[in-house]
Amino acid sequence: MKSIFFHLMPYPELPPDFPEQHRSVWVDIDPKLYDPTVGHQTYNAYLDQLEFAAQCGFDAVGINEHHSNGYGLMPSPNIIAAALSRNCPDTNIVVLGDSVALYNPPLRVAEEIAMLDGITGGRMIAGFPVGSPMDTIYAYGQNPATLRERYHEGVDLIRQAWTSDEVFSFNGNYNKLRYVNVWPRPVQQPHPPIWIPGGGSVDTWDWCAAEDLVYCYLSYFGYKAGLRTMQGFWKKVQELGKETNPFQGGFAQFIAVADTEAEAWDLYREPAEYFFNTCLHVYAGYADPPGYKTPNTVRAGVEGMVERAAREATARREANAADAAKAGAAKPSYGSKKLSFEDMVEKGYIILGNPTQVTEQVHELATTMNVGHLMVFSHFGNMDPELVKMNTEMYATQVMPEVAGLFEDEYEDHWWPKGDQQLAAVGSRAQ
Amino acid sequence: MSGATPLAGHFAPGTLPFRDGHVGVVELGEGPAVGYLHGMLGNPGVHGVLEELAAAGHRVVAPSLPGFTGSSEPDGLRNLHDWVVATSEIVDVAGLAGAPLVASSVGAMLALEVAAVRPEAFGPLVLISPFGLWDDDDPVADPFGTTLSVQRAMLTDDTEASAAFFDDPADLPADMVVEHGVHRYLTRTAAAQLIWPLPEWGLAERLHRVTNPVTLVHGAKDRIIPVSYLQRWADALPNVVGTHVLDDAGHQGDFDQPAQVARIAAAAFA
Repeated sequence: MKSIFFHLMPYPELPPDFPEQHRSVWVDIDPKLYDPTVGHQTYNAYLDQLEFAAQCGFDAVGINEHHSNGYGLMPSPNIIAAALSRNCPDTNIVVLGDSVALYNPPLRVAEEIAMLDGITGGRMIAGFPVGSPMDTIYAYGQNPATLRERYHEGVDLIRQAWTSDEVFSFNGNYNKLRYVNVWPRPVQQPHPPIWIPGGGSVDTWDWCAAEDLVYCYLSYFGYKAGLRTMQGFWKKVQELGKETNPFQGGFAQFIAVADTEAEAWDLYREPAEYFFNTCLHVYAGYADPPGYKTPNTVRAGVEGMVERAAREATARREANAADAAKAGAAKPSYGSKKLSFEDMVEKGYIILGNPTQVTEQVHELATTMNVGHLMVFSHFGNMDPELVKMNTEMYATQVMPEVAGLFEDEYEDHWWPKGDQQLAAVGSRAQ
Repeated sequence: MSGATPLAGHFAPGTLPFRDGHVGVVELGEGPAVGYLHGMLGNPGVHGVLEELAAAGHRVVAPSLPGFTGSSEPDGLRNLHDWVVATSEIVDVAGLAGAPLVASSVGAMLALEVAAVRPEAFGPLVLISPFGLWDDDDPVADPFGTTLSVQRAMLTDDTEASAAFFDDPADLPADMVVEHGVHRYLTRTAAAQLIWPLPEWGLAERLHRVTNPVTLVHGAKDRIIPVSYLQRWADALPNVVGTHVLDDAGHQGDFDQPAQVARIAAAAFA
């Protein structure tokens, strides 16, 4: 099993009363809360953490794209990937990913990933999410009724651009290009592995299964809650009579390791509470714009990950308002009842414990969900950099070796960068 | 009128063939034809505006727009041009070419777009809270960056007036509950497509083409398009023959005050 150190890059200094005083961490977060000095320090601290993870031996480092978001400071993941590309010479980079429909034309994604693949010598994984409603519909003004069609057209364009040996014209419904000609070409041929981050759309399951693409569920709610979603994907794979190769699956998980369980409970409480109670303070009105879901997903009653976050926050907020009303409060706040750290661990949102305990749970996660790519959140919330370092190192040295062999003998990972082999084949690796 | 779909009775009793699918339609009354083009809430079926106009001696024909309640999912409608062509086709399919029209909300916006390229498509127009203009200093509200309960309160002054759009009908068979919810979702989707991200597609530059006599109606409690837009429309359209503010009405005045709207329309079409 591959372990990928994944970073969300949250803004670490939202005020303690943020949930009470502000409606949402996403879309309409107050611009005045952003301190550019904090931003400068934060970007560099987070890049240090990604580079440290690479040094510790993680199989890859991973990043993603969000807009107008207090818990995700990466509107352009490719810029972060570029910053990492020269300082992480032995690690793969997972951009999970570029929200294809937001690029005009999406050819830009084909070009930038090809550039990064060239710089890294073929160590890129290209993720293509539809993108969350907050990012695509609200922050970037995409029309929800046409977003998915635009997205699929964009992915088609990128794949054709990477694989065509000829300059060609692309006559799409949303992209009209007389001359498509990606220079540079990616090192990995025919193209870097493509992973699709999904949030529970049943049509994405169908598509990934049919097209042999990696389906990644980037959940914030852990392996216990994520099991149904991954099972939904594997069921589609089985229905097509295909092999349920765990390396065609990916999952994200918060992990908190310490020498002892007691120490872990003590160390990780604050950053976990910051993430789940402040960073996920998302206004429910941004979670489900009409048209974002496909009719099949509506019929299936599948709920997206951010939709769940917003719904749960709203439920807690309404309970809080009811309590406040009973107590005679004159003006209810935006605040929700807090999710307790104990609940986060109990429900599996966070895998916590000493290295042995964490290893057991990661093993359980991987085998029950059948996932060969684990996105590890060793940083979350406003975690102190020294604690991030400890968490990262302990996972890399005491957990990762115990789970690295999972699935490796039985299955081949067809979705992992093979740049070194390809460069060796042409004998052209730069020194 | 072709056969109804299993759910059509809950939205619109009949259907008309439209391209590879169908659009829902309601017909009521006898006499000269009058069209009714619904708004964001979709085609409400037989309701007060239609009943009052029918009682006044009109044959009222109310087609559903593609994707809205009673119609099949829209195919190939990707931009405003596609929607304008589709609406123009539906006017013909419904036999409404040249007829007077009551149109609301997004339907009123499409009616103006069609009239801008084909003024003869309609006779006199009664338009209820049309989308299509935008003032930075007095912006149109976003009805979709909200929860459903807030959206409901934005659409009508009386939230019960929009029950068919938000609630499962009491008489709905259990095996149709999910599909009814899907239809409501698709209706919201179609409405969102027409006004997302901002309901301004350059219509103001085309309004000089709309020579039809226009009567403007606006809910005083419209929480989406401020009532101040009534004057903007009156200033922008070349042939406004009347303006009316409905005191106890929200964005969809045709749902909140159907009898008043019908009386205004009957007078305009007399």
